[in-house]
Amino acid sequence: MNVLIVEDEKSLAREIASFLRAENFICDMAFTGLAASEKIAVNLYDFVLLDIGLPDYNGLDLIDEARKNKVDTSFIVITARGAVEDKVKGLDLGADDYLAKPFALVELLSRINAVARRKFNVAYNDVVLGTFTMLVQARKLMWGDREVDLTRREFDLLLYLVLNHEKVLTRHQLYEHIWGNILDDQYDSNFIDVHVKNLRKKLNAYAPSGWFETVRGVGYRVTTS
Amino acid sequence: MVKLKVKLSLFNLLSKLVFTLLFVIFMPFIFERINLRQVDNDLINKREDVIQMISEIGIEPFVESDSTGAFGSFDILKEEFISLEKVNLDEDLNFIEVSLRIIDNEEITYRIINYTFKVDGQQYLLEVGKSLSSIHHTQANLYKVLLIVWIIIIAVTFLTDLQYNNHLLRPLDRITGKLTKISTPSVFDKKPVNTRTTDFVKLDESLIGLMEHIEILFRKEKDITANISHELLTPVSIMRSKLENLLLSEGIDRKAASKIEESLKTLYRLQTLVNSLLFIARIESHQYLRNETFSVGSVIEELSGEIRPIAVDKGVNLILDAGPDLEMNDANRSLIFSMFYNVVNNAVKNTSCEGTVTVRSSFDNEGRFIVDVSDTGKGMTEDQIKILFSRFKTSAESRVDGHGIGLAIAKTIADFHGIGLQVVSEKGKGSTFFFTFFKSS
Repeated sequence: MNVLIVEDEKSLAREIASFLRAENFICDMAFTGLAASEKIAVNLYDFVLLDIGLPDYNGLDLIDEARKNKVDTSFIVITARGAVEDKVKGLDLGADDYLAKPFALVELLSRINAVARRKFNVAYNDVVLGTFTMLVQARKLMWGDREVDLTRREFDLLLYLVLNHEKVLTRHQLYEHIWGNILDDQYDSNFIDVHVKNLRKKLNAYAPSGWFETVRGVGYRVTTS
Repeated sequence: MVKLKVKLSLFNLLSKLVFTLLFVIFMPFIFERINLRQVDNDLINKREDVIQMISEIGIEPFVESDSTGAFGSFDILKEEFISLEKVNLDEDLNFIEVSLRIIDNEEITYRIINYTFKVDGQQYLLEVGKSLSSIHHTQANLYKVLLIVWIIIIAVTFLTDLQYNNHLLRPLDRITGKLTKISTPSVFDKKPVNTRTTDFVKLDESLIGLMEHIEILFRKEKDITANISHELLTPVSIMRSKLENLLLSEGIDRKAASKIEESLKTLYRLQTLVNSLLFIARIESHQYLRNETFSVGSVIEELSGEIRPIAVDKGVNLILDAGPDLEMNDANRSLIFSMFYNVVNNAVKNTSCEGTVTVRSSFDNEGRFIVDVSDTGKGMTEDQIKILFSRFKTSAESRVDGHGIGLAIAKTIADFHGIGLQVVSEKGKGSTFFFTFFKSS
């Protein structure tokens, strides 16, 4: 997929690009609004990651322009302003999603994937996890034909790890994704550990869950077979 | 509490009543005095007339040389009388008195002038009298009329006063109306109130000026908040992406990965701190809408669902003692969630294994809805409570206890919604946080 990264902080743009390239995206960058406007008009992008805090351009105008020119691109708006009205305005103008700085790169990836699935109407495949099967669409975890009874949060946690399989996710990346709307000043919160502990207990009651690893000192990882 | 216009009208009425009452009370006396004077003058004139007549025609036509030696005359209605009689007194009399006389078996009160004079060595006493009953009669009538007129005047002036005050103070009503119906200065109606009263014009103008000033300050604060957030969060964002990419790179050894994760943790701490301060600033500069209706009970239920796993893991008993519920209007659900969440979370954090955190709802005896969150934790000293909700002054001990910025956030949200937040605590026994939902909130 083609992605244009519109970000005046070159260093940040390059990090995002390097991350997305590792995920097999084709990345282009624009460091000014003007450059972005030209690139959007000329090239075909599946996604535009748009920092609306550009020095030379109101980022939201870019969406407006694109929509007027009937450019079929999905916009994910990035802002460090994060004020409520920005969010509303962004989504009103036809941004597909919204991310506040600073965000986790894996979070950005999962937002892009979610928008892509919506856009192309692609359903999630069921995922095999050892002897377990995750029915993503139905939000169920099965062991054979028995359903493992998970809480909403436990399922969300596992799903996020599954969607980012083979990657180590830190506790904060997980926390931010699931409880992002709750502002907790406990930066060393053991929230995630407690949920992981409960989740493991439930899984181990059925079968060993070797696919669900703890990476010491870093975080957690799910390996799909 | 009484409205100004009613107060003014009542005061006017009272002062009018007092002054006119004095007048009404003294009026009859004054009237009587004036009347008596008039009567006295009349009597003196009459006496002069009689003396004049005597000197012209002599005393004989009046006083026959009969045995009594007296003369008396009165009109048919017995309003006036004249009497002349021979007397032998040692002194001359010349005075006016009020005295009873019986004429045809009728007792009548007269004002009488007594006057002695001598004709041919004989002393005569002349009495000229005028009945006072007519005077008293008119006086009584006057009194009645006066009372009726007085009542009418008072009633009419009270009503007109009320009406006029009402008219006069209408601009004030409009100004207070403008003030009471707004929740934030930005929605203050800046159209001047139509009035010719200088004081109100001044009041209105200064209010409008003040509101504009506050609005500018709010806007500035909003801008500053936005700018600071941009300035601070952008570098954090860059560093975070770099570290995350590093962590994802192939062949990184475990020790290095752990160090990177620690750096990320520190960065996350910085990010959370900035976000918390921004969150408070945004609430204070009214960047959140208050337009939702929801039940407080549903919020508490939801947040205890989030906190319960942590409490269970810690061995803390989290009890939801759901009493009455309250439907909140014009509120922001996610903010209210955040408010309760921070306080309940704080209570769980500060309660050790086997302890209990209870969330209760009730109505107090003034009918206000109360939610209280009590724990059996470490409790706090007076000094700790004083700085509990302050966002910058965290005592060393409270930092260890984990009272971070969360309680300051809770307090800011409570203030924004007009909810009272108090804490009662005893060192070693535990703390209770009280949320009081005032009727207006």
